[in-house]
Amino acid sequence: MWRLLPKEVESLWTLFTAPVVWALHFLLSYVGAAVFCEKPGLLGEDFDNLRVAIGLITVLSLAVIGVSALLAWRQWGFGTGDPPHDDPTRRDRLLFQGYATLLLSGLSFVAVIFTALPALFITECLR
Amino acid sequence: MSAAPPPDRDKVAEEAQLRTVWATPEGWRYWTSVNNTQVGLWYGSAAFAFMLFAGLLGLLIRAQLAVPENDLLSAETYNQVYTLHGTVMMFLFAVPIFEAVAIFLLPPMLGARELPFPRLGAFGFWSFLIGGVFVCGSIFFGAAPNSGWFMYPPLATSEQAGIGADIWLLGLSFIEVASLAAAVELIVGIMKCRAPGMRVNLMPLFAWYLLIVAGMILFAFPPLIAGDLLFEMQRMFDWPFFDPERGGDPLLWQHLFWIFGHPEVYIIFLPAIALLAMIVPTFAGRPIVGYSWIVLAAVGTGFLSFGLWVHHMFATGLPQISLAFFSAASGAVAIPTGVQIFVFIATMLAGRVIFSTPMLFAMGGLAIFVMGGLTGVMVALVPFDWQAHDSYFVVAHLHYVLIGGMLFPVFAGLYYYYPLINGKRMSDRVGRLAFWLMFTGFNIAFFPMHLTGLRGMPRRVYTYPADIGWDWLNLISTLGAAVLGIGMFAVVVDVTLNRRRQPRGEQNPWYAGTLEWISEPEENWGVRSIPRIESRYPLWDQENLAREVKSGAWYLADAREGRRETLVTSVLDAEPEQVLRVGGTSYVTIISAVTLGTVFVALTFKWWIVSLVAGLAFVAAVIWWLWTGTGEIPEKERKDIGRGVSLPLYASGVKSTGWWAMFITMTGDGTAFASLVFGYFFFWTIHQDFTGGVAGPGVYWPMAALSLFAAAWAATVGAREVNRRGGVGAARVLLVIGALASAAGCAAALAGPWTTGMDPTAHVYPAIVWVLVSWAAVHGAVGILMLLYCLARSLAGRLTRRHDMELHNVALYWHFVMVTALVTFGVVGLFPEAL
Amino acid sequence: MTREIFISGEHQRRDGDAEPAPRRSSGAVRVGVPLSAVPLIVSCNGIQSALDPAGEEARQVATLFWVMTVGGLAIWAGVIALALYASRWKRGAITTEAAGRLIVWGGVVFPVTVLTALLAYALWLMPSLRPFGDQTQAGLRVEIVGSQFWWRVVYHRPDGSSIVSANEVRLPLGRRVEFSLTSSDMIHSFWIPALGGKMDLIPGRTNRLSLQPTKSGTYRGQCAEFCGRSHALMAFPVVVMQPGDFESWLAARASASPGVVESRSAETLFLRHGCGDCHRVDGTQARGTSGPDLSHVGSRLTIGASLMTNDAETMARFIAHSQSLKPGSLMPTYLDMPSADLDAISAWLKGLQ
Repeated sequence: MWRLLPKEVESLWTLFTAPVVWALHFLLSYVGAAVFCEKPGLLGEDFDNLRVAIGLITVLSLAVIGVSALLAWRQWGFGTGDPPHDDPTRRDRLLFQGYATLLLSGLSFVAVIFTALPALFITECLR
Repeated sequence: MSAAPPPDRDKVAEEAQLRTVWATPEGWRYWTSVNNTQVGLWYGSAAFAFMLFAGLLGLLIRAQLAVPENDLLSAETYNQVYTLHGTVMMFLFAVPIFEAVAIFLLPPMLGARELPFPRLGAFGFWSFLIGGVFVCGSIFFGAAPNSGWFMYPPLATSEQAGIGADIWLLGLSFIEVASLAAAVELIVGIMKCRAPGMRVNLMPLFAWYLLIVAGMILFAFPPLIAGDLLFEMQRMFDWPFFDPERGGDPLLWQHLFWIFGHPEVYIIFLPAIALLAMIVPTFAGRPIVGYSWIVLAAVGTGFLSFGLWVHHMFATGLPQISLAFFSAASGAVAIPTGVQIFVFIATMLAGRVIFSTPMLFAMGGLAIFVMGGLTGVMVALVPFDWQAHDSYFVVAHLHYVLIGGMLFPVFAGLYYYYPLINGKRMSDRVGRLAFWLMFTGFNIAFFPMHLTGLRGMPRRVYTYPADIGWDWLNLISTLGAAVLGIGMFAVVVDVTLNRRRQPRGEQNPWYAGTLEWISEPEENWGVRSIPRIESRYPLWDQENLAREVKSGAWYLADAREGRRETLVTSVLDAEPEQVLRVGGTSYVTIISAVTLGTVFVALTFKWWIVSLVAGLAFVAAVIWWLWTGTGEIPEKERKDIGRGVSLPLYASGVKSTGWWAMFITMTGDGTAFASLVFGYFFFWTIHQDFTGGVAGPGVYWPMAALSLFAAAWAATVGAREVNRRGGVGAARVLLVIGALASAAGCAAALAGPWTTGMDPTAHVYPAIVWVLVSWAAVHGAVGILMLLYCLARSLAGRLTRRHDMELHNVALYWHFVMVTALVTFGVVGLFPEAL
Repeated sequence: MTREIFISGEHQRRDGDAEPAPRRSSGAVRVGVPLSAVPLIVSCNGIQSALDPAGEEARQVATLFWVMTVGGLAIWAGVIALALYASRWKRGAITTEAAGRLIVWGGVVFPVTVLTALLAYALWLMPSLRPFGDQTQAGLRVEIVGSQFWWRVVYHRPDGSSIVSANEVRLPLGRRVEFSLTSSDMIHSFWIPALGGKMDLIPGRTNRLSLQPTKSGTYRGQCAEFCGRSHALMAFPVVVMQPGDFESWLAARASASPGVVESRSAETLFLRHGCGDCHRVDGTQARGTSGPDLSHVGSRLTIGASLMTNDAETMARFIAHSQSLKPGSLMPTYLDMPSADLDAISAWLKGLQ
């Protein structure tokens, strides 16, 4: 696996991977639930199916965020280079990116779990 | 790296030359200046003036509510006053003040001479000023918007809203254009114009925040622009987007408005926190603790803030599961906010704090904001919000958030950065007095409102009965507001105080570590020479930096060719890439803003001819602006910037700032388009049969339009490639083919709904189809203009095989149009068939 | 704050209960004794207070509020004390490592824990607060239609009959009542703070709300969504009655008021001035529906959607000056109506008990 993915990604975009996963997870959950409740029958009748579907995309999203976190952790040298990462070197810039990405992965992880909580507690299309 | 001794050059002559090149125009021409220092100051002053105006409106509100059954203001006047108070504070103060601060501060902070598009910045300012005066002025004619700053239909689409609603929609759309212009300017500036060596891990935190905020503007403002478009189509031409009788739904507006409205709160809040992130380390006398945590907080808040909009709609009857998602995200956003606050506390704990006036405002703001954040968590919980929503509890909450999270930090920033304006400090004594007046006045005014709201007082009421238990609470609030007002007045006095006799202060009065404190208020050039940065706090860590920069020992110390120049560097490591020649003093910005403003004002009064003429004048002005001010072929390939570094003067494609600007603009444009598509599917969701029995545009014409758009796109990309290989003649032919294909594509796009006789006033389905195809057609038409522009440049010898920036940018534009066409024609042509 | 003000406040509370409805005995005792020393301004009581609950949802939410308020104030005090310590009181600086740990514990671990618990509690609470459909025991359904700036109230009884009223909601104590909410013009919001949270009335949509009153008495509800010029004047009294009283009250509203026949001349005047074009009065030719139903208007606690107390004098004032009393409403002003006509019509309307 380590060989497949480049060790140092020369882009600012990696920083946004985990939050983008959160956004997609949020959007899918919201749109899925809205369509399920507004158009009965189109996505099935049983609310539990919706809850299971949200559960599945949650697991998937958490897995992707996990990978992003792992890559970030590696870029951060598995935690060997402590912050503040403020030397004017390419190495510190990479460590900074890795560390910040790891933190964002953590936040996104929690946020995805938060977004999935409603599926645990709400059991029908009440309005 | 220690700096080499300055080479033997005639520094005095060099400075004189720089001064001439960057000179501020004199007399009435002063107003044609486009330099970031002037534009930033004008922008800030205008926003500040609008704030004072809206503050007076706020005091009027409090005066009216001081006692029950008051008749100081009539119901109609009160509704106009409170609508304008909210509108002006949000659109004309809270957002623009940060565009102002950013335009003023970013170049010196990043070690740049200028932002990459100074004329765009000036254009944004003039647009903002014209739109703002238009919107504010309406109240003096009793014609101000009166339906609340949120403009919910059907009230705001009804006749009761009057011309005020049009003033709101058109005036603010115009200002949103200015915000988008600022977003483009800031993103490109922060990504591409940092001093050499200022890698992303060394960027000032202010720049990190502003980068995120500008990105948020790009995704938050376009949905409102799309909403405004639908809204105005209903008001002017009776297209029924929000009319339930004809398949529309008032809730669509609420979605679009709050998709904008909630991120906007963070667009306001993050830059204020960014100011604190500059102030706190200075007065703690040490680097910030947890730089990466701040980046986490900024990026995290930026994303999460887009998952909150429905928490303004908890009482609209959406399914509980939908509400719950937004409740969850609203809880999650508190995490990065908490991190931000603890970063400041940790930094103070690990340093030795000097408790100056800016720190006083910062800490006061923190105390207020934390309270607002905690009530924010409370209203994020759906059951509590069902009670608190639209009550004075929310009024208290939002003022705690905005005044604590924005106004106090701005005042902290004002006291902190004032010396950069004229080298003098504001009065500590007045500052402390003002702070205590504001702080106590604010709390006396707004704390009781929590209770007023829970005792049942709804928002937006112009009067209330005496016997419900709201009287004393309201009277106290009014007294507090008066004290707050006096405090604000003290600050105004302090700002405008004549300081001519006060001696020039130190260059860096607070001993701050960041680069902006190198800039000399007396000079217009930003930095005398552009240094190489090796630290987050270069003034603390890089010895003699200020002296070296000032003596012109660093890069780009001259302006030998008589042009305004700044450095372009790479995104991640800020390695120098190009010397960018930026636009200088010009009145084209004012002409463009005035003509575009005229379009919007004329539309408000339905003066169709005037608005058409003004629209053509605007297009002509922009073309003239581009023709004379951009894509210039330099007189030589490279320029020596000193210290043995030589950089190209021209770049095209992904390396050019213009390409980035196009990319960013079109991302915003794509977001607006996505909002319209959201509208289409929204109507599909809420109806059993969303077509309402109306025949669609068919498959033939949409597919024909798609093919023609594809041909135009292919021709454009082909022209770029052929031109690069030297086939200049063939490229010109391809440009003509592209323009013709696009024209035919536009016609085919409109032919779909036209041939099947879709009447946009009959039902919402034809209306939304017409909007989508018109959107595509307008983009095709703009595409034609661009292709012809490239053709003209090529024929005039201003676009060559090597200097082909325009072609790259136009091809990029067409990539986006191609996606727009694919989605539009796929949706309107194929989706109804798939059902 | 003086004792006098407090007493006058209490006095006004009693005034609100003009109708001989069951007294809110427990409330009066609770307010009267333990809070007598506390200034009125910080009291949480009132006929429109969410913190003086008289309904199941309001009670649960008030509890949630107090828990969060105490917790929130503690967190606020902690954060501010820490910030003040850091900026003003401390002597030496702590290490960067310790500061980093503070960010992790204070900025991440603590908020995540608290937020998870709060969120889970609120989500768990949501479905149970507003049970609909099968779970609803009461057969009573109340339909509310919002209009600028008044409320149509229709009681749908289990037997299929319905009774039309306006600007006043009466509910049986202890029963769960389901409201269906629509609007005829703008977006309004139906809010009785003492009973529970609000729900919007949106043109083209029908929303539902479920409330269960737990304390009899007279409360006040109000429109909570800005709906136009006189949004501030769109309120209504809410009377929670013993179920038996409620049933007989409702039964009395099923037929025309005996007051109709009291004055045939007033009825004729009423029709001649065109009132019947917009208002309906059961037992007469007045069949208009664009304004409030006046069949039993005399027995309502207020007129003008809680604008004024209900007597013949205020009735006359409202008819003559409706636009200055309630700007922007559809009710025209009858300034030119001869005062004899005005008095006769007002007296007759007041008599529609």
